This record gives sequence, structure tokens and C-alpha cells, in this order.
Amino acid sequence: MRKMLLIAKREFLATAGTRAFIIGTLATPVLMGLLIVVMPRLLQKGAPKIEGQVAVVDPTGQVTPGLQAYLRPEEIARRRQEDVRKMQEDMPPALRAAGGGVSQAAADQAFQTALSNVPRLDVTSLDPGVDVDAAKRPLADTPPREMTGRERLVLVVVHPDAVVRAAGKDQFGTYDLFVRGKLDDRVVEEISSGMRDALVEARVRLSGLDRKQIDVLTRVDRVRSRTVTASGENATNRVLNQLMPFALMTLLLMSIMTSGTYLLTTTVEEKTNRVVEVLLSAVSPMELMAGKILGQLVVGLLVLVLYLGLGVVALISFASLGLLDPMLIVLLLAFFLVAYASVGAFMAAIGAAVNEMREAQGLMTPVMLVFMVPWLLWMPISRDPNSLLAVVLSFVPPFSSFVMMLRLASPTPPPLWQALLSVVAGAAGAYVSIWFAAKVFRIGLLMYGKPPSFATLVRWARTG
Amino acid sequence: MQPAGVVRSNPHPATPAIVLRGLTKTFGETVAVRDLDLTVPAGALYGVIGPNGAGKTTAIRMILSILMPDRGELNVLGRASALEAKDRIGYLPEERGLYKKMRVGAFLIYMAQLKNDDGPDLPRRVRQWLERVGLAEVEQKRCEELSKGMQQKVQFLAAIIHQPDLIILDEPFSGLDPVNQRLIRDLVRDEHRRGATVLFSTHVMVHAEQLCDHVVMIHRGVKVLDDGIASIRARFDPRSLLFEPFDPAADVQVLSALPGVTQVHRDGGCWELVLGLEADPAVVIRSVASTLTPARLELRRPTLEDVFVNIVTADAGGNEAAALRAAVRDPAGVENEVRS
Repeated sequence: MRKMLLIAKREFLATAGTRAFIIGTLATPVLMGLLIVVMPRLLQKGAPKIEGQVAVVDPTGQVTPGLQAYLRPEEIARRRQEDVRKMQEDMPPALRAAGGGVSQAAADQAFQTALSNVPRLDVTSLDPGVDVDAAKRPLADTPPREMTGRERLVLVVVHPDAVVRAAGKDQFGTYDLFVRGKLDDRVVEEISSGMRDALVEARVRLSGLDRKQIDVLTRVDRVRSRTVTASGENATNRVLNQLMPFALMTLLLMSIMTSGTYLLTTTVEEKTNRVVEVLLSAVSPMELMAGKILGQLVVGLLVLVLYLGLGVVALISFASLGLLDPMLIVLLLAFFLVAYASVGAFMAAIGAAVNEMREAQGLMTPVMLVFMVPWLLWMPISRDPNSLLAVVLSFVPPFSSFVMMLRLASPTPPPLWQALLSVVAGAAGAYVSIWFAAKVFRIGLLMYGKPPSFATLVRWARTG
Repeated sequence: MQPAGVVRSNPHPATPAIVLRGLTKTFGETVAVRDLDLTVPAGALYGVIGPNGAGKTTAIRMILSILMPDRGELNVLGRASALEAKDRIGYLPEERGLYKKMRVGAFLIYMAQLKNDDGPDLPRRVRQWLERVGLAEVEQKRCEELSKGMQQKVQFLAAIIHQPDLIILDEPFSGLDPVNQRLIRDLVRDEHRRGATVLFSTHVMVHAEQLCDHVVMIHRGVKVLDDGIASIRARFDPRSLLFEPFDPAADVQVLSALPGVTQVHRDGGCWELVLGLEADPAVVIRSVASTLTPARLELRRPTLEDVFVNIVTADAGGNEAAALRAAVRDPAGVENEVRS
């Protein structure tokens, strides 16, 4: 036991004490923080301003003024400002309160960006009798290197019955929209909205109705749902509800991948350095493997706790800590232990079997599959955490830990007994993995030469 | 000679240090070691010799329980397995290994700790050992910064730092220059004097001749000789004299007429006088010296190389003997240095 702890201590220090680990582990959150600060500034200097002509063929003569009014730069800017205000209103109170810091600055920056990037669209009415094909032609022209702001970007052809129904018809007519290639989607969206507004305005006016009255009558504000729990009720945060399972599963995968990869690397290194035979004269292969797995377990836990801690700090700062059930953290640690034991033991076995890292790639396929499956299943399981697929997979090691984590963090988590059963299933899987690894490890450590195939590893495990 | 603090109890207990009975190990179709019997008394200095691929390393790995034998029994330091006595064993494997990024001092302390040697004086002992082998200045250097020779000395220290009762060295001189070979040889002798049992393997016979008092020869996985050096010399005495006349032009053939001399023939730069079975070498030496003034006259001693080649090529032709001689000579030509 003492020797195993000595090996574990060296393994931990040799990994976590390196500059590469410290920088690698700390760099990610720092980079994320930098992105939050820098991205809005980059966006501000992003897309070029759009200027050009919107030609309208309007045989009704009722639509063009409305479209002109809708596409005035000041109007576009006002609507965008309104969108930003609504977005801020939709934020949880805690997030809004924290907005005095980064998020408010980011919102202001985004608003400034919106204002400065408002497209300048010149709405020009064409003669209703114009040849539509000829009017379309400028859209196909190759744009000059420098746009002058007078190029035709869009052609709108309003149908004659778009404002007043044709005799005997129940439905109004509509309009055709022709646009230049590679035109910004947001401009097309803006014009579509403008046409909708102008057509409704014209139809209402010609029907003798009051548009303002209709707007008031038809307006129902969207409300934010409130999640009711035993400890009270909170505004439902759909984004966090969707992100939480993903974040926790990613955290689990990331910490296991980090420590598992280090375990593989250090084992291959010890074998390549030939230091392994000296170690085997002092400890048994099982002690060596257990010590190494334990050392890297602490590395994985360090990564897990560090990132989980950052997450908890973020939730505390947004007064949303209530979203994270303490039991979830306990189960996260339990799933980490069983999943790491399965994957780590396997990695140690591969490391012992090969002579260099390059040879390990071929044997890593099963491990990579274990890592890929939760990513592939994230969406279907998040949408329906209690589907048959999700329930079955949450008891099949080595996927069980990741799948159960997704289900537990979802808004409709499974009962606790299922979580505990999943831990037991994971532990059984870990036992099999460690049994397999112990056999392969002992034989592989002193085997040099041709790298073994996966079938050879299985044979070693059977006969070892 | 060794650093202070080295205190061993009962260096020569009655129990043999190593007992092997019928040890056999196969790898696929290849029998690496076949029915190996061996008893190494406590406090002995044994050499296991044989050409590369003879099975020496496999035998050593089985003694250390790094490899498990297919059949046979073994007893190491009174235990049924070396696993139960690992802390009392020091091992230098043929394939040397260090943690490249670890500092030399920390590496030696770590290796001692793995052998349950974690006394408060351990750092001081590590420093003393490093001074002893002329590496005092590298204690804080990373292992990868050392030259190959320095690394080998550090590895040797890792095998003896915890003052083991049994020291097993697999090809301890390979890759070392003559000066460092002499240093390691002196350290091995010191450890033996301290009371440790030493078992070392080599494919260079002259290394064994210089160091051990008992040799075990292995050839193709089978033990072909297990005897003390003195006994081997007696058993394989070629019963001949080496003679070089003071006058190079002298007629040496006249010596064949002397009583006890049966043959006289050239042997390289000098002459070999073959003695009859009943002849007393001392009497013949006096007769030769009085007949022709010698520049050199000595009793020919059998080398382990001769013994080994004689044993394993008893039924073979000259080509195999020549190949075997090449396999058991030091390619670095250190032989002369070691003999000096």
C-alpha cells in the first residue's frame, strides 16, 4: 500500500507539476474569458455596411410608402434597439443585475454595432408597367470591386391583388422577391418584414379599420415560465436547463480523457525508458498499475474540481446556484470514479502493451468509441432523457456514467435508484476493465518488438 | 569503502540466498531456460556467464519474480518468491532505465523509498554515494542531462542505495569504458565485503574471471557448468607451459627431449610445452629454465572462455568454436585492461 502511494505521488507530481499541465489546464478558462471580452470588439469591426437600391413594382400604389418608412435607417436602428431591450428583459434578474459588469458592456457594444451597421436601403418605385425581366437584369450584374451604393440589390414585384382581393377570391395576393446573389440574409429578412408590415398596413387602411386598435387587440406578451420545486419557485432558465447536462457530461469526459491520456503517455514512457524493469524489481505489476491509476485519478479529480469550481463560482455570481443540486455533484464524483477506473485501467493496459505512442493509436479505437458515443447521443438523450435508449444505455458500462449524467442533469431526471444502479453497473464494468488491464499490463510491460493487436491483448488476458 | 551508515546484520546466515530447482521458461516454441538447478550461498559472489541469448536474463527475471516460471521451484532469501523479499534485493537490469525529467538525487531517493528505505539519513547517503562515484555535482541535474556513462553509474547506485542483502546485476559492465568498468568492479567488491550476496551475469568471460569466486555457465537455456573458479582451473588444467626464449634464435625444439614434456609447438608469439600426465610442473619448469634462458616461462591457466568453448563445442567443429569465442569476448577490447 505504501509503495502504491509512493508511485501514485510520483505519477501525480510528474504530471500536474509540469509547466505543460499547469498552462494547459489554466489556459482554457483564461482563453474563454478573453473570448468573452474580445469577441464583441471583433464583431463590431466585422461585416461591411450594406448600401443599395430596393426597386419596387407596385401596381396597387399602396405598398411602397409603407416599405419606404419601414426601411428608413432610423427605423431599423430603433427596432434593433428594441430587440436588445427585449433580450435584456428576457434575461434572469440575476444576470441583468450582474449586467453592470461585462454583460452590460457587451450588450452596449452589440447595440452600437447594430446602429453603425444598419443597411442604407434606397426604396425606389418603378413604373407598374415595367418589363420585370429587364428590371431583374441588374441583379445579375457582376458587382464592381467598390460598391457605389446605387446598385440594385432587390426587386419586389407586388401582385395587383395584394391589397384588395380579386373578385371571387377569399385570399389576398402576395408579392415576388428577387435578390442579388450573396446578399446578406438579414437584409432579405428586413425587407420581408417590411413588406409584411406595409401590406398589412395597406389592407387594414383600405378596409377602414384602425391599425393601432388591431395591434392592441392582437398583442399578447410572451411570459417567462417559472419552475416550481420543493424549495420554491424560480424563473425557468431554458438555456441553462439545456446547457447543464451538456456541461456536466463534457466535464466528466474532459477530466477522464485528460487523466486517461496522461496515464497512457507515462506508461509508454516508462516502458520506452526501460525504467519499468527497475520498478518491477521493487513493486509488483499490480502495485505499479494501481499506483499509476491512483496518481492520475488525482490529476483527473483536480481538473474536475477546478472546472466544477469555476462553474459553481459562475452560478453563484448569477445567483443561479439553486440550479445545481448538491446530490448531482456527489453523483458526478461517483460517476467520475467508476468511468475513470474503466477507461484508466484500459489506457494503462494499452500503454504497457505498446512500445511507443504511435502504436497505441490502433488500440485506442474502443476507448475513442466510449468517448464519442455520449457526444453523438447528447441531443436525443437531452430531448428525451427517459426514452428506452437513454434508460438502457445508462446501465451499460462504460457508457452508463456519461449517459446517466446527461439524464440526471436534465429537467426531468430519473429516480435516484436508477442513478445508484448505474453507479453499480459502472463499478462492475470497472472491475472487468481492471481485471483485463492487470493481465495485459503484467505481460505487456516486458514485451518489446511487434506491437500486439487487440486480439492479442484479449489472448493475454485469457491466458495471463 | 562504502559511505557511512551502512550497517548489516548477520551477513552470512545459513540459508542460501538463492535456490532454484528445475526452473523452466518457454516463450512460444522457444525454451529460454530448461530445468535450471542452482544454489547460491549467502555471501557468495556468483557469475552467470554465457553468450547473448543463452537465457541469463530470463533466469534472473524469474529469480526476481518479474517473470513467472512455467515450472520449477525457487527460494530467494528464504522466501518462496522474490516478491516477499523485494526490499532486500537490489537489481540492475540489462536494459537500463531512468526517469528522464527526474533529478538525480530525487530519483535515487525515490528508488530507495520503493525499497522501504526511507530513513532520515537517506538524502545524506545519496549525496555520499554520488561523491563516491564522482557524480557529486549532478545531484540536482535532470537524468536526461547526464552522459550515458553517468546514467549507468546512477542506475548502479539505484540498485545498491538501500543496502540490499542480495544484489543481482545483469550485464553490469556493458557499455562502460575501462575506467568506469574498474569503478563498478570495485563497488561490487565493496558490496560483497559488506556482506551482500552478489549474482551478476555477463557474456564477457573475462569479467567473471576478474570478479567472482564461482561461475554458472548457461548455453541455450541449459546450465553446462556450476563450479568454483579454483575447482574449474583444476578440472580444466591444460597441463602446459608457456615459454618464450630470451634468445629469439634459440632452438626451442630441444625442450621436447626434457623429461615430462610430450610436445612443443608454437602458440602465437611464444611456445607451448605440453606436459605428460605424470609430470610435476614445478620440476619441468626448473629443467626448462636450466636448458634455455627464458624471457617468459609460466604455467598456462585455463580461461573461462577456453572452458566454456571446450564444454559447449565438445561435439562441434572449429567454426562453432570460433563463433562462440567471438560471442564471449568483449567487443570493446577491455580484456587487457581488466587483466592488468
